[in-house]
Amino acid sequence: MTLLRRHRIASFLLAIVAIVAFSIAELDFSMLFLGVVLAVLSWYVTEGPRGRTLPDWVANTLVVGAIAWEAFRFVSTGELADAMGALGRTMVWILIAKLFARRTPTEERQRFALSTMLVIAGCLESVQFAFGLLVIVYVCVAIWATMLWRLARSADEARRSRESSHGFAPPIEIAIGRRSAPQFRGLVTASILVVLAGGVGVFILFPRFAEIGGANLAGRSVSGFTDEIRLRRGDRITESRRELFTVRWVDPDGSARRMLRPLLLRGAVLGWYDAAGERWVPLRAESGIRTVRTPEDGAFARLARNEPDPPGAAATIEIEMRSFATDAIFSIYAPIAIATSEPRSVSIDPATLVLRDVSTDRMGRYWNYRLQVQPQPTSEMLRALSTGDAPRGAYLSLPIDAIQPIAESILAEVQTNSGLPPRPDADATASERAVWGREAARAIAAYLRTNFTYTTDLSTLPRVEGEDPIVSFLTRYRRGHCEYFASGLCAVLRSLGVPARIVTGFIAIEYDENSEHYIVRESNAHAWVEVRTGPDAWMAIDATPEESLLELQERNRSFVDRFRWMYGSLEFFWNSRVVSYDASVQSTFASRVQGSWREAAGERLSQVLAKMRAIATDLSLGRAGGAWFATIAIGGCTALLAVLIVTNRRRRLRARLGVLGATRAEQRRLVRDAAFYVEALDLLAKAGYAKPSHLTPRAFADDLRTRHRALGDAFAEVAERFYSVRYGGVGGANEAARGADSHLSLLLALRDAIRQNRAGRRAD
Amino acid sequence: MATEHGISHASIDFLQDPGHNGIVPVANDIPKRRTRVIRAGIVYAGVVLAIGIAAGSRPNNLLVWVFACLLAALVASGIVSGFMMMPLRATRIEPRRGRVGEPLLVRYEIRNTSRIIPAYDLHVAESDATKPGGLEPAGEAWILHVGPGDRVHAEAVFRPTRRGALRLARFEVTSTFPFDLLRKVLLFTQPAEVLIHPEILPLREGVLERVTAGGAGGQRMSSEGGGTDDFFGVREYRPGDSVRQIAWKRLAGTGKLASIERSRSVPPRVRILLDLSRPTTSLRIAEGEDARALEERAIVLAASFVAYCDQLGYEYALSVAGLTVPPVALRRGHFHREKIMSLLAALDLELPRTAGIGLSTSDERATTIVVHADRADTSLAPSEAWHFTARQLETLVVRSGSTLGDDSRREGRA
Repeated sequence: MTLLRRHRIASFLLAIVAIVAFSIAELDFSMLFLGVVLAVLSWYVTEGPRGRTLPDWVANTLVVGAIAWEAFRFVSTGELADAMGALGRTMVWILIAKLFARRTPTEERQRFALSTMLVIAGCLESVQFAFGLLVIVYVCVAIWATMLWRLARSADEARRSRESSHGFAPPIEIAIGRRSAPQFRGLVTASILVVLAGGVGVFILFPRFAEIGGANLAGRSVSGFTDEIRLRRGDRITESRRELFTVRWVDPDGSARRMLRPLLLRGAVLGWYDAAGERWVPLRAESGIRTVRTPEDGAFARLARNEPDPPGAAATIEIEMRSFATDAIFSIYAPIAIATSEPRSVSIDPATLVLRDVSTDRMGRYWNYRLQVQPQPTSEMLRALSTGDAPRGAYLSLPIDAIQPIAESILAEVQTNSGLPPRPDADATASERAVWGREAARAIAAYLRTNFTYTTDLSTLPRVEGEDPIVSFLTRYRRGHCEYFASGLCAVLRSLGVPARIVTGFIAIEYDENSEHYIVRESNAHAWVEVRTGPDAWMAIDATPEESLLELQERNRSFVDRFRWMYGSLEFFWNSRVVSYDASVQSTFASRVQGSWREAAGERLSQVLAKMRAIATDLSLGRAGGAWFATIAIGGCTALLAVLIVTNRRRRLRARLGVLGATRAEQRRLVRDAAFYVEALDLLAKAGYAKPSHLTPRAFADDLRTRHRALGDAFAEVAERFYSVRYGGVGGANEAARGADSHLSLLLALRDAIRQNRAGRRAD
Repeated sequence: MATEHGISHASIDFLQDPGHNGIVPVANDIPKRRTRVIRAGIVYAGVVLAIGIAAGSRPNNLLVWVFACLLAALVASGIVSGFMMMPLRATRIEPRRGRVGEPLLVRYEIRNTSRIIPAYDLHVAESDATKPGGLEPAGEAWILHVGPGDRVHAEAVFRPTRRGALRLARFEVTSTFPFDLLRKVLLFTQPAEVLIHPEILPLREGVLERVTAGGAGGQRMSSEGGGTDDFFGVREYRPGDSVRQIAWKRLAGTGKLASIERSRSVPPRVRILLDLSRPTTSLRIAEGEDARALEERAIVLAASFVAYCDQLGYEYALSVAGLTVPPVALRRGHFHREKIMSLLAALDLELPRTAGIGLSTSDERATTIVVHADRADTSLAPSEAWHFTARQLETLVVRSGSTLGDDSRREGRA
């Protein structure tokens, strides 16, 4: 009966899991805390010693209030992109209000629907591993809760059907078998396994999009890598300590070491600024993107168009992915060659030298790779890597008129304070302009580092309608995070006629002396600026205060980081196998399964055939060997079938005779001597007189006799014989033959009686 | 249905064997299986379809995962309930008898022949298509759990609404477990008949006592010894007689052992004659009155007299005028009462009536009560008989504030 009481705690847990899952998906920890506290309080209030619930009108008022409040917030902020978040938050508050309400079947259904919708809303908001884990937990709890709810609901219906007769019908006594609770647990477990297995099957086979870009999977409001910058998307960035990958710097002499400056790992280059969308978007070469295939033996594949300088003096960086699902290949400027653990197809954009994994068989997409890099590449080397097809003029355009005077004033201030030479004249050479541009970039970056403040929380800063966020940053805020610093520097440089572009990727700061590698976390996602220093040459300039980044790094460091790799490995599996499962992975998976199946089957078959030939040779069977093997196989199958039939018959006989509790010897005896009784019952059942289980054989014979005397008499003899065998010890080896004759005659008599009865009924 | 005896086939068994244990042979132990789609399942399928469309239209693998789990739950619901229901076998253990106005409990035995899979949330009900008209459900049979190899009994409650033999044909075991998306149905065919006895209404206290007081059927001393009351006689001592029974004076006088025998009282005797000699169409009825209903009320009145007699410990008998029904002799006790009730239940009012056969003369020392449908016919019974009509039922039953006045009593005696 405890089963009927457990559905309350199950539905409560379901609501809790849904609230936690949505809060995790939204990364709203205040809602998580408040929601869980209120939910737990609801349990104490409604199920505690006093067991009170809110009146319906109060609960409905709270629901209406929650809807109105979230609608007001949504309208006031005006962020359409957060529509699903607003909807989810509304559902959270409604769910909490309903946890305090009366427990009626309608309320239960609404809670279940709200919980499920919360999880679905979370799916539209996040693809994080923690949330995915909670989704799986939710599925399991939902199965458990639904099964319990079904039982409780049926019990209520049964009680109500009795109560509706106003005392006419007696109260229901719930019919229940033995060990209901443990068996229910087993059934729930089996159901969960069936659902999860079916879910995995459907997930694998469901038609997918051609490709899910890894960059799109990194989350929208966390400090993760993205291949575009939306300046006002996240005013408050939550720092995540999740390990993404490790980087090891190896000098040309083969020794690993820590660099003096942090490593800037390039992932995407953003060249266009979309003023309307307040975002920086990637700039890719219109043509000339090359693809190289890495060799199987782990050797380096050259990325250059033709043979440049031999990369003998180049350094090597080794990157080991841990929990990051992306097709971007992070590299230091400028990559020369790449080696992978398994053959991959890698594309290089000649305009930006950005690498991407473009393998179609991307089952093992998140592989480890090594890159040969040249921090100070020669112009020949860059020419070999680049094609010159990049739209160079694009690095000067900036569709914000208000920037120009700001840039001029900043330049004047910088020139005053740092002694930056005046801007070259129009007749200056390209080299002179490049040199001035590099110096100007360094000086302005230093100016920004000195006079601007680094912060990850911009939510308290007032906004001016129609003002571009870069203008706001440079004039009013004078504070921001790396994206603002990079945007401000890039905008000022372009306004001054210096070609510049923004690069997004990661900054490797945290170095582990023991393993001699950098640990790159999600919070290490970074944006900086590259300034053109030659026809194909670019130099990285980082305007973000480095000490602020280091301080942030130190501030967030904790002992938990030591164990984060365990979570990271699970998250890596989640991202690599679940989140980024797309059409190409699907087709690769299908071809691999098909291939491995054929391979395994073919291999087994060939092994069997070879063994058979060897045996035929050893036994000198010659051409008749096949016939011999066929005969043996048929004989074996027949024998196996016979054994199965006999075993099954004995099992059935044991069950029908009710001798499962007897000793083995007794069971054997009864199966041998009392089988006639089961056959008699089968005969009667076929004739339409199945024996009810609650009647003894003798009572059944009497019952038959009252209807059909001849039939009852015939079965009475069978029953008496059965009693003598079952309880009288009649039978055994000495009487077996005599008994068999006797049993046969009894059965024949019974069959005759059945025939006569049937004929009599037809005559009637 | 009807025989030359004026009662249905079903009642013959009951009359011959009132103590029948209610077991009938199972006609077919293998059920038919059905799957019915329910509204919750349709709504669920719609939601799954919507999520599937959403998952197919945007690159979100978590949404695909949710869709996959929802779809798998639908499949799992069919698989789990299928495996759960397949090994179930059920038997109806019907009561064979019921009474109008009293709950009719029908028991079902569910056994799970599976060795592994338990069954949960089973509803048992008579199949709607074959349920007889005179039976209204008043409480379903619900089984929470039947373990592997278990047998569990559950009972459903019905409200019989009319007298007679009801034929049950099929019953169904249904379940929407585990997810309330599909309804799996097992249809068991097990024909059976239930004889519904007429309703018994509690008669006003004192009605029978007044009728039987002082008459031929009143309480008297038996002509045989064996009681515990007054002196009856002296007989020879028999081994086993109590010492208290020994006639000491006789022993002193004759020197022979003798025992004193005491008399015993005989309870009042009542013979109830149900007058159905007039055809239904010949009954005198008021406007808006149903003649057949009037006959049924007469039967109810007769049954109520029988029950009251039994309650008071009287000996009672029943005869039916107008139908060829063998008269039941004077007896008392549970089986006797059930026999008479079964006879009343099985009366077939559709049969042609035979006029003029009643109790014009009788050697029985019993009070005769004649129950007529519409009006009294004194020719059916001896002159000292008491006559009642079905229309007096309202005044004879116990109702708050109602009394059986003298006028009524005079009207009652024709």
